Formats: sequence, C-alpha cells, structure tokens
Amino acid sequence: MTGEAPAIFVALEQSGFAAAIRQSLWLYPAANVGHIVFLTMFAGSLAVMDVRLLGGLGAIAPGVLLTQARRFALAALAGMAITGFVLFSAEASHVSLNPVFQLKMALLAAGLANVAIYEFWAKRLIATLTPGAPLPPRAKVLGILSLGIWLSVAICGRSIAYF
Amino acid sequence: MIRSCTFFAVLALLTGAAFAHHGWGSYDAAKPVTVSGPVVTSKFENPHATITVRGSDKVWTVTLAPTSRMASRGATQNMIAVGKTISAYGYPSTVEKDEMRAERITVDGKTFEMR
Repeated sequence: MTGEAPAIFVALEQSGFAAAIRQSLWLYPAANVGHIVFLTMFAGSLAVMDVRLLGGLGAIAPGVLLTQARRFALAALAGMAITGFVLFSAEASHVSLNPVFQLKMALLAAGLANVAIYEFWAKRLIATLTPGAPLPPRAKVLGILSLGIWLSVAICGRSIAYF
Repeated sequence: MIRSCTFFAVLALLTGAAFAHHGWGSYDAAKPVTVSGPVVTSKFENPHATITVRGSDKVWTVTLAPTSRMASRGATQNMIAVGKTISAYGYPSTVEKDEMRAERITVDGKTFEMR
C-alpha cells in the first residue's frame, strides 16, 4: 500500500521525526489525547459563534461575541493542526490514501472557506448589530454551514480508524 | 437543502463502505487462528506494534497493541524481538492478506492480553 501513496507522504512517514513519534511510548497517545482536548475547546467556541449567528445568545452583540469566541476557536484549531500533524506523520502513507481522511481534509478546506466567506460577505453587516437586533439571512446560512461542516469534520476524524 | 445534503452525506459515510485497517471490525472473529513460530521482523511502534511470524503454513503479519499498553503488561520490546518463539491467538484480516490481529500472545511461557 505504501507504494501507492504520494512520495511526499512516504518520505514524511520514513522521516526521523515520524519514526520518533512511532517509537516513543507516550508521544502518539499524547497527541491523540491533545487532539481530543483541542477538539472540545474548538467545539465549545464554535457552538457559541454558530448559535449566535442563528439568533441565540441574543443579549450580547454578535460582533463582540464572535470576535472573542473566535480567538479560542483559532487557538484550538492551531492545537488540532499540530497534534493532527503528529498523528498523520506516524502513518502518513496509508492515511493519505484513506478515503475518509481525504473527505475530512476536503471538509476542513470547506470549513476554512466558510470562514473566509464570512469575513468578506457578512462580518461588516454583523459588526454593527446591537444586542437583540435581527440577524441578516446570510448569517444564518453561514452558521448552519459552519455547524454542518465542522461536525462532519469531527465525524470523519473519528471514522478514519475504521475505514 | 444544505442541511439535508450534509445529513445524507454523513449518513452515506456512516453506513457505506467496508471496514479496513484499524479497529476490530475488519478481522474475522468467527475464524480464530493460532500462529506459532519464530519472530521474523519486529516493530515496537505506535499506533500498534507489529511483528511477522513464520508459522507452519506461511509468514503472518501479526498486529499487536499500542506500545504503552504492551509495556505496562510486560510485553516489552525484548519479549517480541526477532528470534523469539511466539504463539499468537487472534483473527485473520478480511482486508490485508496474511495479516491477523492478536487477541493474546504467549512468549517464554507467559501470556499477554492485547485488548
């Protein structure tokens, strides 16, 4: 199976870095645990943002809440990227060929694209809203997309091991 | 529309394809095998230690447990080293040829559970 994987992932798996991850008793499990801890942090801050975009938590101005919650989400995402890279490196060649992993990466790209769309299409509208003000329809569209995409990323993540 | 698409995508994902490398799903528990013989190659590595064993019929790839679990149960790197004689009871893979996942292994008269 290793032979079919892109050369860059074969090289990554055969690197000293990846070997060190596999040969350490604790590094791989620690990355696994860390990935889940950052996931819960990400899911919590994501829920705050998406619930606000869908009209919940109305007592707080959405612009303020989203700006603050996003800091936690970005920190958690960075943590997941680092721990995820450790987990991926250990088995890069066959994980890169795993269809659920490929779907997860596509969904991850869609999630980040959704963030970019929010930046250019909705952020300015939402920034000026007062607490309790009705949200523009595009806020709800982006909130639903965000929830659906990121939950699917998480489901794919857990499913990689079974495909 | 978007919501239902996501729902069906997820549903298709969870119910669709066959199981593969990890977990116990891709091993046939109805056909347990015992492989006994010398260890030919040995990788004491995460996420699972793997060894190859020259059995009576062929060389089997035997998938073991995460290394920290094995170490804590006494199945250290030395216990599964090349040249050791090992007996592995487990289930053949339904995906990978000549691969089996060990439920337990016996080395030097000691039995270690892998699950």
